[in-house]
Formats: sequence, structure tokens, C-alpha cells
Amino acid sequence: MKLALLTLAGFLAFIPFGKGAAPDYVRDIKPLLAEHCYRCHGVSQQKSGMRLDTPAAALKGGEHGAAFKPGKSAESLLVQAITGAHDKLSRMPYKKPPLSAAQIALVTRWIDAGAIAPTNEAPEKNIHWAFVATTRPAVPQLVNRKAKNVNQIDSFILTRLTKENIKPSSEADRITLIRRLSLDLTGLPPSLAEVDAFVKDRDADAYETLVNRLLASPHYGERWGRWWLDAARYADSNGYSVDAPRSIWKYRDWVINALNADLPFDQFTIEQLAGDLLPDATMSQKIATGFHRNTQINQEGGIDPEQFRIESVMDRVNTTATAWLGATLACAQCHDHKFDPFTQREYYQFYAFFNSTIDDGHGKSAPDGMLEIPGESEGAAESQKALAEAEVDLERYLNTKGSDVAKWEQSLTDEQKSALKDEVRRAMAKPFAERTTKQKRLAYAAFSKDDDNFKQRTDKLTKLEKGQPKPVTTLVMRELSQPRDTHIFTKGDFTRPAARVTPGVPAILHSFSADTNANRLDLARWIVATNNPLTSRVIVNRVWQQYFGRGLVETENDFGTQGSPPSHPELLDWLACELMNPSSFNFERSTLNAQRSVPWSLKHLHRLIVTSATYRQSSKARPDLAITDPNNKLLARQNRLRLDAEIVRDVGLTASGLMNERIGGPSVFPPQPDGVMNLGQSRREWKPSTGADRYRRGMYTFFWRATPNPALMIFDSADGFSSCTRRLRSNTPLQALTLLNDEAFHEFAQALAARILKEGPTKDAARIDYAFRLCLSRTPTSAERARLITLLKRERAGSDESTAWTAVSRVLLNLDETISRE
Amino acid sequence: MNSHHDSAALHHATRRHFFSRCALGLGSIALGSLLNGRRAMAADAAHLANPMAPKQPMFTPRAKNVIYLFMAGGPSQLELFDYKPKLVELNGQPIPQSYIEGKRFAFMGSSHGTKLFGTRREFKQHGQSGMWVSNLFPHTATIVDDATFVKSCAANLFNHAPAKLFMNTGSGQFGRPSMGSWVTYGLGSESQNLPGFVVLQSGPRGPRGGAVNWASGFLPTSYQGVPLRGSGDPILNISSPKGVTAQRQRDCIDAVRDLNLKRLVETGDQEISTRISAYEMAYRMQSSAPELIDLSGESAATLKLYGVDKDKPSFARNCLLARRLVERGSRFVQLYHTNWDSHGGPGENLEGDFEKVCREVDQGQAALVHDLKARGLLDDTLVIWGGEFGRTPMGENRDTTGRNHHIDAFTMWFAGGGVKRGAIVGETDELGFNPASDRCHVHDIHATILHLLGIEHEKLTFKFQGRDFRLTDVHGELIHKMLA
Repeated sequence: MKLALLTLAGFLAFIPFGKGAAPDYVRDIKPLLAEHCYRCHGVSQQKSGMRLDTPAAALKGGEHGAAFKPGKSAESLLVQAITGAHDKLSRMPYKKPPLSAAQIALVTRWIDAGAIAPTNEAPEKNIHWAFVATTRPAVPQLVNRKAKNVNQIDSFILTRLTKENIKPSSEADRITLIRRLSLDLTGLPPSLAEVDAFVKDRDADAYETLVNRLLASPHYGERWGRWWLDAARYADSNGYSVDAPRSIWKYRDWVINALNADLPFDQFTIEQLAGDLLPDATMSQKIATGFHRNTQINQEGGIDPEQFRIESVMDRVNTTATAWLGATLACAQCHDHKFDPFTQREYYQFYAFFNSTIDDGHGKSAPDGMLEIPGESEGAAESQKALAEAEVDLERYLNTKGSDVAKWEQSLTDEQKSALKDEVRRAMAKPFAERTTKQKRLAYAAFSKDDDNFKQRTDKLTKLEKGQPKPVTTLVMRELSQPRDTHIFTKGDFTRPAARVTPGVPAILHSFSADTNANRLDLARWIVATNNPLTSRVIVNRVWQQYFGRGLVETENDFGTQGSPPSHPELLDWLACELMNPSSFNFERSTLNAQRSVPWSLKHLHRLIVTSATYRQSSKARPDLAITDPNNKLLARQNRLRLDAEIVRDVGLTASGLMNERIGGPSVFPPQPDGVMNLGQSRREWKPSTGADRYRRGMYTFFWRATPNPALMIFDSADGFSSCTRRLRSNTPLQALTLLNDEAFHEFAQALAARILKEGPTKDAARIDYAFRLCLSRTPTSAERARLITLLKRERAGSDESTAWTAVSRVLLNLDETISRE
Repeated sequence: MNSHHDSAALHHATRRHFFSRCALGLGSIALGSLLNGRRAMAADAAHLANPMAPKQPMFTPRAKNVIYLFMAGGPSQLELFDYKPKLVELNGQPIPQSYIEGKRFAFMGSSHGTKLFGTRREFKQHGQSGMWVSNLFPHTATIVDDATFVKSCAANLFNHAPAKLFMNTGSGQFGRPSMGSWVTYGLGSESQNLPGFVVLQSGPRGPRGGAVNWASGFLPTSYQGVPLRGSGDPILNISSPKGVTAQRQRDCIDAVRDLNLKRLVETGDQEISTRISAYEMAYRMQSSAPELIDLSGESAATLKLYGVDKDKPSFARNCLLARRLVERGSRFVQLYHTNWDSHGGPGENLEGDFEKVCREVDQGQAALVHDLKARGLLDDTLVIWGGEFGRTPMGENRDTTGRNHHIDAFTMWFAGGGVKRGAIVGETDELGFNPASDRCHVHDIHATILHLLGIEHEKLTFKFQGRDFRLTDVHGELIHKMLA
């Protein structure tokens, strides 16, 4: 800001102030208008219909008439506006500091001198970079051809660094690399054997082999699934005040599986936004539409359900715009977007795509929006076995009574028969041998319901039937047979419907070819059209952000005019093109990657990034860059990043050996401090899982929106309220208290101590090395080892080995490095 | 102050913080040995980026701390403060159509609730200001000359959870920072031993919406409210694990610090220095939190003033804890008390149930103001009292009486910290339905609270999803009549 002011002052100093020389439009006036007026009266917006970016447009004017009258400054709207002299208009620039007296004098003198200006100036057509479709930039030729392990990404990064005269950092050591790569691709630290194997692997392709192994790991889908679930605002409860539990984990598992299968991102998108509308939609495609059922449901008494239905439709609009388009379309809910070319009308056209699903605002239409998964139930196999046994037992008993029943049936009069229930009569219509167990049971109950032998068996069966596990369900999108009308809401207020609109997309973006009956499927296809300037850029940017802590566009959720410009625009576009249309040319040496990747393959994108020399650099701070690039925007090194909330837990679970690596299934309840659930309006139960479910990965912890698991929230997990495209990385005393004192984490320390004593070597120093490696993959320096031995000796005083080693384990699990990836 | 955290300013503040307070943290270790090796980096180590370090307000503040008594459920102003003889006179008459045209209410479908209902409570004027207070609040009646009563408060949302969010965050949507988060984001906290933003709860159940009411939304989680719990650990995980003595805990933290420092030197990552200071603060919290809730040092007279039974959780006890918290430098203390949702049904009637909840808060809240004043803390501390909305002039009468949610006019009071003493702002119409003068919208109240703390509400912003957000959204006018 200061810099800009200086520049302006410098500029003004050259303006001739002498009476004689009339100000020149191009030199004096246009820059002034550009700086102070164009934002509201230029190419992207024309407030009050006024446009000032060409003299012709200004003369044509807007709702309040022409901007100026040549020769008559006092009567000119422009002068009245900037001096605040107009009786209706606010002083311009609106809500900004006024122009200086010298600037106003310039404008006045220019008008009085006849407002001479070129008449043929073409209006600006400068469209914001992110709204222009990508074209694949040429990969720059590297000057230094000797650079090691470089791919196309490095060509862009190194070219820029060379230009700034900055040297990149050297490659990180192998242990750091395998821990970084394992955590980044699977969210789990490597095992000691994996570390050793990689360190020893002399093969030229050792690194590429490792990358491929990790990309093929089923844990890759968990790690990157969680990345996507943040954007999907996934949670296990309905939110708002009642916050009842919901079942939508099938959607979570769908994401994991889709990513593991490397479902191309365009298809991944289409299935989530409109899987239900695909011809002959499969069960899996329907489950995928859970993406937009991750909205909250308000079950509070006394609400107006329509208000909250509308809230969820708006959430779907805003989330779609954020997650795929990096667009702040939400800003156009109440008025035209203040900075980007999105009108309020366009907001509601986008809204119309999502306005006709069956869900209501109260959750009462839930059965229609709930999909039962055939053949799957929430219960254990044992109860089904017990049920089958009870059924067989009853059948066997009933079969011994066949003739008694038949005799009784024959004895019945027509009148007596007609008094029986329909289903009993239907059963009796069949010969005994052809009846189902159920029918035999019904008939027998009518005949002799007080028979104790029967009663005992049928009651047992009834009880088991009632306790039968419920079928697994998941929330899905479904269209109403008759679509709802969509109206613009004045000021975003749903009680003030205005003009009716039909589905459509913002005009500034690529064209939309569907007819007026366009639906979500058309929208989904439009979103992943290869001429969409945003989707591919936004996605590669968010993947990049995971690897470096910051996107090439720092404002990952705002690619609009108020967002930050990309640090490496060509690289961003190259990656976006490469995602949509991978090059057949195989840059990497590895034969493992020789096959051509399919379009929209996320694994291809991951492989490109993690095999780059840029990614493989050391993350050590560079004092020499403290002034030139303090925030490491040019990437002359890697960034050291604190792990995500779930992975903080996963590292503890892995080091301690407690980890249960099962993938998917219903969410679980690891121990958490007492009383957490009391903080909500409804006191929900949190019964800690026992057995293996107690030690599942952090991403499977049941997530209540109103009372989330504190260990997750304290480490900045997504809150599930709105689409989260970047997690904060806070660093607080409550995090320290969690790692030090939380029951779950203390259990890790105790288990790690037991593991050291059971599996580790026998000497203290060797044991410390072993424990250290379990947590950090590397061996300690001699100073680190010495410090831990000092601790061990101290803790041994007056306590047993297990206590002393628990102390050592606690220290290791609390280290900053343990919960970071370097 | 910049709209965003200016990193240079932050570094400045934290460096000062490091040398003044954190000497405890790093003083015991050989900082000198660091300086030998990598002078530049070790100097950086002093930049302990503590997000809660105290920050300068934008202009001279009138209040330093806030104690916000949140009456969850929406207390009836018509039974407590807004005396309407006309309503009593018209008891049982239908509400004139002109009042309710175009209005929306909670439980809109239900048939009851269109007949006026005059209060059955006795009102008297109190103090120099002549503020009307009903006989349900005998203690509160004694503080009227220390407070400003705003009778013309107005909100937007009429269901509990969204309305509570609105009162706390200026928006009915989840994901926005609460007032306490904004304030600690803007000002940090004077306490480096206790959280800057603390939440206490009393009453039969938690407030609707739960933890989102004190969430930090898109602000860093450092600024979210930390619940001080009525039973068990006062702060989540504040006790060392079973079997870990204080000495062992210190040993552990010392070893963590030493190893973290070595890594700091090796990597030069400033986050490690922040982590070191976070562990020191955590350790200090482990001893200061139990000290905070230990009331044995309070005189019998003080306990009697509040009506506190030392070992029993209560609103009164929380009021006393709130005083102790601001004494110890916490910036923003919020107390929630349920249940004020007087619909007229069982447990929620305006008869015995309402009397009970009034009794639960009356003595404690009055004692808090008296006690702060006696200790000279009231000048620096802003006490806020109010619910998420008020109640309708119409009755919601069943076997017992009640009232529906009402957002158009309700009463809040403010005491201390730059607020006029003994003032009344705004009046309602003769039925108590709409403000007749000085309508004070929630956004205006927020703007005024920030102003008292030395913050210009339009300048305390945070960029999120491409937009500069603030507590007052795009609204908010100062309520000048409240200011002393």
C-alpha cells in the first residue's frame, strides 16, 4: 500500500500544473479514472449504468445522464460526484477517501478546456485471467541441463528461480523423503522395514518405485479421500441445534474407493453432482450423490422448513462454486457480485439446478432421499446366524404339528374362517407342505397360541427379528417429478421472491449448450468441460496446496478479481492442461510410468508433482532467502508442515502399533474426554468403541457437527458446516494439552512403551533409537539420544521400567517433528 | 491495526512478549548456546508467535474485558423490565391486525398465541434512573443506576439456534466467528496462564447449537472459546494422565522443549518456537486452572454476596469465576444460563418455572456488578446481559401461561466499561411489540461493544472465501446514547 502511494505521488509530481497547459486525457485523466472509478464503472461492472473506461461511454452516461458536459465542469456529473456537490449521489469514490484537490482540479480543467479525448477508444475487453480458457504453455528450456531428477514442473520453477538468481535447495535425505511421501500420499508414516528398504535401494528408479507403491496403496484413497471430504463438508450428524446422527458413511467410502480406483476426475464430478440422473444409474453412482446431501438439516421445533430447504439449496450452490470453480458466487446471493462479473440473476439461475430435489428443510421427507443398500446391514453376522437357527428350530417344531393343524383347519366353519386375518386365510389356502415358515407360524398361532413350546420358540424368533440389524442406508439426491419454480430473492431474502429464472450458468464463463430444461447432469458436464477455465485450474491448485502448504494461487477458494494472482501462472495452466489431457511424451525415466495416463487422472497429477525435484527439496529454512522470498513463494525449498488433525492421531496409532488399518465402514467412537457431549443442546451418547474399532484412523471418528471430537477440532479439522478448501494450521496450548493428557494419546504412549520393551532391542540406547525411529523414521543425533537417556534415568527413580519408558514415549509423541512432515 | 494480522506487528508484539513474560519458558535453557551457533536463527526464535499476545486497540478503549451473561432461550422482557400497563388492560384481547401483518413467528402453524397477555408480575421503579423492574429481580433492581437498559433491541431470526448464532456471530449461519473470537483476535489476552476467551454454562441443559456459539469459525482455532467445565477437569485435558505426577509432567515438557529446540535450530522453522511457547502455556494452565476454580481464598462475605455454595455448580458460582477470570486477565468471559424458553408448557411456564430461573440468576448477576464495582474492576469491564431474543406481547397460554419468541423488541442491559450509568435507551410501543424509539439492532449492539473495546467495527476484518468478513457484516451503527 505504501509503495502504491509513493508511486502515485511520484506520478503526480510530473503533472504540469501551470495554467496554460490543458490536462491531457491519456496522460492525466485516464489513469486517474482507472485507479478510482473503473472498479464500479468499468468493464466488469457499470453501477447506475455508468461506464467511464472510454470517453465515448462516459459521454453517453448512465441513469443520471452524461458524465461530463464539455466546457462546463460545474454542470458535469463527474465533477459533482467527486466533489460531493450532487444533491442525490453520494460523494465518489463511494465510501473511499475523496480525490485530492489537485486531482479534482485536473478533471475540472480538462472539462473546462473542452474535454478533449480520443473518440475511437475501444472499450476494454480485458477479461480476468481465470475466466479465460487454458491453453497449454510451452515448457521452458532449462539453462542448466545438468539439473537432477527434473520434470516439466521443475522447468517452470527453476526458470523463475534462475531469473531471480536464487538457487534451489538440495534434495532431502532419503529418510525424510520416504516419511514425507508416505504421509503425503497415504497419511501414514512408513514402517521401519519400508524405511530401511528405501534407504538401501540402489536402483535408479527407487524413488519412482516408492511413489508407485504408495499410489497403489488402499490408504491413498483414505488420505486423499479426506482431502475431498473437507470440500464436501462431510459429517455424521444433521447439524443445527438438534444434531441427530445420520448415516452417510457409504458416501465417504465411495470417495475412498473412487480415488483408489483413480476414477477420472470428470467422471468423479459427474457422479457426485448428478449420478442419479445418469442413464441406468448404478447403486454406486447414486451413492455418489451423497456429496450434496452433506448439507445440514434443521430439526428444531417451530421452524419454517422451507427456509431451511432454501438454506441447503444455497449451500449446494455455494459449495459447488467453491469446490469446483474457486468462485465466490455466494457473494451474488443478495446483490450482483461487487467485484466479479456474476449477477444476482445468475446466482439464482445456478440455484435453479439444485432447487428440485425431494429433500425438505425439516428432514421429514428423509425416507425418499435415503437409499437402502441391498444385502448390507449395520449388524454383526452373529445375530443373523442366531436368527437363522431360531427360524430352523421353529420350523422343525411346526412340522411335527402338521396333522394337528390340518385337522383343526378342516373343522372350521366358513364363518369362523372369515373371522381370521387375511394373511392367515391366505396361508391356509395352501397345503401345509407348501407353506413358508412364516405361513406355518401364522396358521399355528391361530390354532394354538397358548402352546408353551410354540410360544417359547416364536417369542425368541420375534425378539431376534426385532433386534435384526437395520439395513445400511445413505442419503442421496433425487429429483421431484415436477420441478420447482425458481425466483430471484430480493436481497437474498426468501420471503421476497422476485422475477422467475430458469437454470443457467454465469455468462462470463464458457457457453452452456443445454436447453431450458437443463438439469444437474447438464451442469455437471459443463463443470468438467475442457473449455471450462476454472475447474482444472482450481483442482490442480488444491492438490498443489496439499504438497506445499500453499497453492500456486494462494486464495484457493477465490480465483476472481479479488483473489491473489498465481505465483507461477504458466505452471498452473500447464498442470491444468496436463490433468485434462496428459501428454503422451513420458518425461520421467521410469519405465513404470511408460503407459499413457488417462485424461483427468488424479494419480497422474500426484505422480507428476511428487516426482518433481521441486517437491523433493529439503524443507530447511534458508536464511539467505529471509528477505528475498520470506514466504517461500518461489519454492526454492520445500515447506515443513504440521500434519492434519486425523493424521496426528494416525501417527500415534502407527508408532504405538495399535493401528487397526481396516478401511471404510460405519464411523467409530475412540475414547474422548467425559462431558464433551454435554456441550450440545441434546446430550448425545459417546460410548467409546472397544476392541479393534477403538484404534481406527482419525478419519473414521464419528463426527458430530455440534459437538465434534475435541482432538480433531483442536488440530483444525474441517467443521462440516461449509465447504472447506484449506485447513488452517493453528498451534495452541490446547494442542499441547491434548497430546500430553488426552486419554487416547496417553494410551498410545503406554502402548509404545510396551512395544519398545517387547519388540525392541535390550540396551537403553538401542531402545531409544528404536522408539525414536518408530515416531520419526530417523535415528536420533547423539545429543538427542543423550537427552532422552537423561530423562529415562530420571524417570526410573522409584518407578518400574514400563513407567519410565512411558515417559520417554510421551516425549517422543509430543515432539513437533512427530506431528510434522518435513 | 491492520485488517489482517500484520506479520511484522505480530513479530514485534511477540518479541516484546518473549522478553517480558516468556523468560520463564526459555530462560532456563541455554539461549546463549543457540546464539553461538546460528545467531540469525536464534534471534528469530525470539519471535514466539503467540496469537494471544496482547495487542493494541485501534483507539483508547473504555473497556478492557467483557463478561457476557447470555440468557439462553430468550427471557421475557415483559415479565422483567418492559412494563406495559396497557397490555395488562387489554389482556385477552386479540392483537390488532396492524401489528402482525407480514410478520413471521416461530411455530407459525399453531393456532394459539394471537391474544394479548398482560403480565401478572408487579413492577416498581428503581434508582435515580427510575428503571422499571419487576419483583422477580429484587437484586437486579439494586444495580439499575450502574447500568444502561436498552429496551428496544431487535434481531433477525426467531428460532433458537440461528438466533443464538446471530447474537454471537452477527449471522444465522454456522461457520462465522463469535464475538469473543473476534475480540481476542483483535486484542489478544492479558492472561498468559488462562485462555483469553472462556465459556461457562449453568442450567438444566446446554444452549441450543452448543459449541458453535463460541466457535472461531474461519478465524484460527486459537480464538475459539474454551469451555470451563462445571465438573471434572475445569478445562478439557487439563489434568495430567493418571499416575503422572507434576514432577514427571514437568520432566516431560522439559525434554519436549529441549528436543524441539534442537529441531528448531536444525530446521529454522518458527512454528517450533510457537509450539514451545504453547507447551509452556499449557503447563501454566495446568496449575492456574485449578487455582482459578478454587474458591477457598474468597471471603465468606463475597460468597454470601453471590449466594455461592462453593462446591455446587451454579450460575452464581460462574459469576464469581467470571470475576476471577477478568482479574487474571482473560479478555472475554461468556456465561450461558438455560432455560428461559417460556412457551407455557411443562417446565417452561411463566409461573413457577420462570420464577425459578429468575431466582437462579438474580443474586449472582447483581453481585457480580456490585463486586466488580467494589474492586474497581467495573470501569474496565463491560458486563452484558441478554438472550437471543425476547417474548411476544401475545400469550402462548395453555394450562399455564407462556409467550412465543419475539425479535422485534426486547431488553438487554449493559454495565461498566464506558457505558452510561443509570440510563435507559429506547422505549417500545404501548403493547411492547415494536420499538417506539431508538431501535437498536444486534449489529448496532455489536458495533457498540467493539467500540467500547477500542475497536472500529468496520476495520476488524478477516478475509475468507474472497471476502472481508466482520462481526457486523455490512451493517452496524454506534448506539451513542449508551456511551458514557
